[in-house]
Amino acid sequence: MFEELAVEHLYVHVPFCAKKCAYCAFYSEAASGQLVNRYVEALVREMQWVASDLKPKTIFFGGGTPSLLNLGQWERVLQTIHRLGWHGAAEWTVECNPATVSLHKAKLLRDGGVNRVSMGAQSFDPALLDRLGRVHSREMIFKSFDILRAAGFDNLNVDLMFAIPGQTLASWRQTLAEAKALGSEHLSCYEVIYEEDTPLFEQLQTGAVQVDEDLACAMYDELLLAAADAGFQQYEVANFARHTASAAAEVPDRACRHNVNYWRGGSFHGLGPSAAGYVRGVRTRNWSNTTMYCEQLERGRRAIESTEELPPLARAGEIAAFGLRMTSGWPLEQFQRRTGFDLRQEWRPEIDRMMELGYGELNQQRFRLTSKGLRFADWAGAEFLRS
Amino acid sequence: MDAAHIRNFSIIAHIDHGKTTLSDRLLHRTGTVATRDMEEQLLDSMDLEQERGITIKAHPVTMLYQAKNGETYELNLIDTPGHVDFSYEVSRSLAACEGALLIIDAAQGVEAQTVANVHLATKQNLTIIPVINKIDLPHADVAATKAQMEDILAIPSENAILASAKEGIGIDDILEAIVARIPPPKATGAVSVQALGFDSYFDMYKGVVTHVRVFNGELHAGMQVQLLHSGKTVEIKEVGSFNPKPYVREKLETGETGYMTANIKSPKDVKMGDTITDARNPAPVLPGFKEIHPMVFSGLYPINTADYEHLKANLGKLQLNDSAFVYQAESSVALGFGFRCGFLGLLHLEIVQERLRREYDMDIIATYPSVVYRVVMTDGTVKEIDNPAFLPEPTYIERVEEPMVFAFVISPNEYIGDMMALLAEKRGEVDHTETLDPRRVMLTSTLPLSEILIDFHDRIKSITRGFGSMDYEHAGYLTSDMVKLDMLVNGESVDAFSCIVHRSKAEGRGRTLAAKLKEVIPRQQYQVSIQAAIGGKVVARETVSALRKDVTAKCYGGDISRKRKLLEKQKEGKKRMKSFGSVNIPQEAFIEVLKA
Repeated sequence: MFEELAVEHLYVHVPFCAKKCAYCAFYSEAASGQLVNRYVEALVREMQWVASDLKPKTIFFGGGTPSLLNLGQWERVLQTIHRLGWHGAAEWTVECNPATVSLHKAKLLRDGGVNRVSMGAQSFDPALLDRLGRVHSREMIFKSFDILRAAGFDNLNVDLMFAIPGQTLASWRQTLAEAKALGSEHLSCYEVIYEEDTPLFEQLQTGAVQVDEDLACAMYDELLLAAADAGFQQYEVANFARHTASAAAEVPDRACRHNVNYWRGGSFHGLGPSAAGYVRGVRTRNWSNTTMYCEQLERGRRAIESTEELPPLARAGEIAAFGLRMTSGWPLEQFQRRTGFDLRQEWRPEIDRMMELGYGELNQQRFRLTSKGLRFADWAGAEFLRS
Repeated sequence: MDAAHIRNFSIIAHIDHGKTTLSDRLLHRTGTVATRDMEEQLLDSMDLEQERGITIKAHPVTMLYQAKNGETYELNLIDTPGHVDFSYEVSRSLAACEGALLIIDAAQGVEAQTVANVHLATKQNLTIIPVINKIDLPHADVAATKAQMEDILAIPSENAILASAKEGIGIDDILEAIVARIPPPKATGAVSVQALGFDSYFDMYKGVVTHVRVFNGELHAGMQVQLLHSGKTVEIKEVGSFNPKPYVREKLETGETGYMTANIKSPKDVKMGDTITDARNPAPVLPGFKEIHPMVFSGLYPINTADYEHLKANLGKLQLNDSAFVYQAESSVALGFGFRCGFLGLLHLEIVQERLRREYDMDIIATYPSVVYRVVMTDGTVKEIDNPAFLPEPTYIERVEEPMVFAFVISPNEYIGDMMALLAEKRGEVDHTETLDPRRVMLTSTLPLSEILIDFHDRIKSITRGFGSMDYEHAGYLTSDMVKLDMLVNGESVDAFSCIVHRSKAEGRGRTLAAKLKEVIPRQQYQVSIQAAIGGKVVARETVSALRKDVTAKCYGGDISRKRKLLEKQKEGKKRMKSFGSVNIPQEAFIEVLKA
């Protein structure tokens, strides 16, 4: 059921931001030079810890703002990855904030083996960027994009958000058109989530902003149209990628393989403050506080705050639920291999219900949600959960 | 004590006119309670009563008073619940007396409750001693108060005693007047003992303690007595009086007031107003007995369904000291398991709810209160309906009668127009308009009880900037065009919102309820229709449009665990929802609407 060999996916969390965004509940803190250095050293130690159980096919540096590390700090990280022999990862992504990309840094990353950059643009509308508390301007998105291309990146993602308070359908259309013109290989578009402990959530609670469900839905419709029109193939609720090979594929070839592994319930190591890992059925979460994280590793300990291991059926339910977010759904055989359960047997009532509603499709090979069903992926996923 | 030296009396007054302060003064002046033992407001024992300035339950207190003629008298102060909800209890307490002190605030004058109380006392042929209280206040107007007494209450004012209970003015005059003016009790001359049981409370050790007034003969421990209306025969364990703490006496004789205990386990075994007599040689019943019937019904439900047993136990405890309160189990599709509860009136309902919340720390929700309708069927039979769910099909109904009240509303002149409009809105007929004084008028109006259940009192207060007052008495039943209004969610009736309403108001109420439900029912994957219907006819409609998607947010490795927990929580929440066809509605939504 679990991979016998070393884990093939690595996530690294870089917990620093120039400024916290209004919607963000991720763990991050303001970057002071000294703390960042300390973090880099702790991360190097943590990498050693997992070195024996990791042969990464994908690496993902997320945040926070990974691009906030300075050249020296990046050099230190890259050196370690090379020393551990991880640099040959087929897909190596680093998240960038458009305000923090210099040609120098971009080249350093590209030369170090990074081959994919995910750019947190979020919007092209200056008023909305301001509303979200983003530190970058619309112009910086274009400029950074050119820099990344110039540095040799041929696999770029652009992150966009919709249903932002104050966003109109016209503004969203404009943003989608500009994203298309940019010509990235990948597009991630998600609806704003109001997470507790964020300024946006506060505004919702006090009634300063309202959720317009119909407008959000219209924006999602618009997104599906625009993405298809720009030549993207949807492969998950919020993810779209180009497919360059001539032969059709279950998942487009420019899809983010690292993320696909999450939805398929595969193992990955998670390093850095607050990072989650999932190795052979055991989910872990690191201490969120950067100082605490560093202290643990400096004392020669792992920085794991909590672990969770679900019983087999619950784990299978979770894997089923999150896999259904992909347009390809669950190949039955793959699901059986990964979880030990027969999807058609164990979740027969749920599958029947989905099909009845026109939300699901079952054939010999797979069960998947229809485009209508994908709009209720949360609800459908919840139905597949088992306690 | 021989009957010639006994006086039994009550104090009647509008709220805040000084009844409790005067009671305390009398206890103090007669030496019944020493100054150092004086708590504020001795007779009102429940917090809630003190807070609202009303008395729901009080003991009769026996005071010994040495009059100016040198003789000692036993004065029994029999307190009455000061609210019309308890008018039968008031009438039983007054029946135990020969006289009453009528207190009127010199600054406020005659108020609605003064009028209602005087009506009750006059019906019992009590000697009324008018007391004009608070004469020390700077804006006291004794002359105007006297004029109102004569004009509105038809009570001669020359014998009114001027007093200030707070300052201790006139207390001796009051005590002397009690002795001089209130007639002593007279034996009825029946073949054996006759005592009136006018109230009761539950004591953990003694069981039910019955408040009694002896009209003939005597009661003592060891006697076999029969309760004529309940039919029970018991042996008296103990008799005594209150000063205000209970104390045991050898016997209670003609004219005396106190208590008896007899190992009675359930308050339901003692009927309010029952006649207690010698079991071997029974005397006739005393006049005026009535079975008490609840006037207002409402469903009480625990907000947390797990609290059902807890609620049941607490309702039982409440009933021990409140035999007028009745309840039985019922279930509602919307609200789960709860109790149909009967109350004497709206105040009684509020008090029970408040006590459950405060004294028993219960989180409860009450359904829309309903009065008891009399339904005359086409076959001539009559049904009493207190729950809209049991209203028969219209084809079997000849007519529906609803309970009416006769209300006294006192209002400053300038608000009279608004007050008339309010009465009209409440389907009231104005019978009389009387000028009380240059500033105020009193309207008397017959209107349906159901119309004054909700917000009537508050509306009067807000129209008159707090200066108006209202009281009422029950006025029988009248035929009325009542219909059952049902609220339907996707075609299924939501029982908690069904109600019996007058046809002229059904549509408006249906519209309001539908709009409120629309606000609270969460959007679903399907369209949800909300309808208000009378019989089969839909009178109002709202639609909750379908959700076309749920959250289409990102979800990566670090989100999975948290998201799974969130989804599990939502799924668990849905299980607790009530489903109407394919529509799931959280119980909180119903509660929101009931609260509004």
